[in-house]
Amino acid sequence: MAQKWGQKLRQLMMKSMDLPHDVIMDLPRITMIGQLHIYIENHRGLLTFTDTELRLMLKNGQLLIKGNSFSIKAILPEEILLEGKIDHVFFINE
Amino acid sequence: MKNQWTNFLAGYIRVKADGIGTERVINKLIKQNIYIWNVKRAGSHSILFNIQLKEMHKFRNAVRNSDCKLSFLEGRGGPFLFKRLLKNSGFLAGFLAFVVLIFLLSNMVWGIEIRGAKPETEHLIRKELDKMGVEKGKIQFLLDDADDIQRKLTNNISALTWIGVELKGTTFHFQVVEKKQPDEQVKLSPRNLVAGKKAVISKMFVVKGQSVVAVHDYVKKGQMLVSGTIGNPDKPKIVAADGEVWGETWYKSQVEVPLITNFSVFNGRESVKHYIKIAKFSIPVWNFKKPDYKNFETELSERPLKFLKWELPIHYKTATHREKEDVTRKYSVKEAVSKAREMGKKDLMKLIPEDSKIVGEKILHQTTDSGKVKLSLHYQVIENIAVGQPIIQGD
Repeated sequence: MAQKWGQKLRQLMMKSMDLPHDVIMDLPRITMIGQLHIYIENHRGLLTFTDTELRLMLKNGQLLIKGNSFSIKAILPEEILLEGKIDHVFFINE
Repeated sequence: MKNQWTNFLAGYIRVKADGIGTERVINKLIKQNIYIWNVKRAGSHSILFNIQLKEMHKFRNAVRNSDCKLSFLEGRGGPFLFKRLLKNSGFLAGFLAFVVLIFLLSNMVWGIEIRGAKPETEHLIRKELDKMGVEKGKIQFLLDDADDIQRKLTNNISALTWIGVELKGTTFHFQVVEKKQPDEQVKLSPRNLVAGKKAVISKMFVVKGQSVVAVHDYVKKGQMLVSGTIGNPDKPKIVAADGEVWGETWYKSQVEVPLITNFSVFNGRESVKHYIKIAKFSIPVWNFKKPDYKNFETELSERPLKFLKWELPIHYKTATHREKEDVTRKYSVKEAVSKAREMGKKDLMKLIPEDSKIVGEKILHQTTDSGKVKLSLHYQVIENIAVGQPIIQGD
């Protein structure tokens, strides 16, 4: 019940104060440049990394990126920049 | 995100991680704020990535108890390049030596060219140059500069009227003008000899012509001394009168000598400072001491350094400080008078022809006022007063 209350309060704040969602709700901010780059802020760690697949932990659930010839250009505690040919981006919610 | 080229400058290492938990290793590293980049998979159980060289120790500690096998593949960037450069230091040293050699050779004297001189004079000049140290293979900026060489040569070689010294590239060019040797006796045209100034004739030595005055005669300026018309008055023969007529002439001069004079003289103490001047900044390279002279004069000389045919904006500069001293000279009246007479005589010697003789000297008048001795001097001089005057032959 308490968690729901918190959720509702946040939703309310967002609507009334016009703040960006990712700041308030700890959501990932994803920027893509065509199929070439994908830049994800606010991730929670790397789960899998292969040539064709990148799986990232998020606050709620996971982010799955599929494509080919992946390489991580840079990785920081909350940011990651992936390069390659990106075909799919999936959100996996538990 | 960090800049790629600063990483390159500081150096980085390519690392290979082998094992099952490679993703866990990466998570662990980024948790500890170790920056990694260019992560790539190399096979199913291994990944490659870069870490900064300075974070190596942090990295080792972080991965100590992970189940991955880590290996450093290669180092790239600044420190590694530098290491390789040191390893191949022979090349570097060779290159530096080459530049230094070219620089040295561009600043040497490679030729001495003397133009317009007779072989004897040229030999003299070469000997004098050797004495000054101007030879092939000497460093230019350690020699005297062109003006000094010119002055020394003109002073030391009497056969020279003028010498032009020019340093073109690595060659000294000398343009010589020699003193004219006396011309051969020209054939004299018919003439009389007349007095150049008023005098009392003391000696006559007539080679040709008819003398019209005698010893002890007083002659005025322009008066005929030796006539070029000889022989029978009815049938005169006109020749070029030749000879010497010595007469006693008179000169007057005024000389003033102050009793007390202040001079500023160099006392021989000097210090030379050496600088390398780049653009407008002088960097002292030798002799940093500040001279403790109260009064001094500074002489600057600047030499450009050359590289191949270009003059570099770098100069070799020397500053010579010479100490000056004030000296007061005091004369008694007697000393002043003798000094004045000496000066008067010296001045007169410059005025009269070289073969003249001063035979008498008298003080006409002597005054001492406002610290000065004034002398009026009178001189008797024996000199050749004969001057040629052409006879214009009528028709």
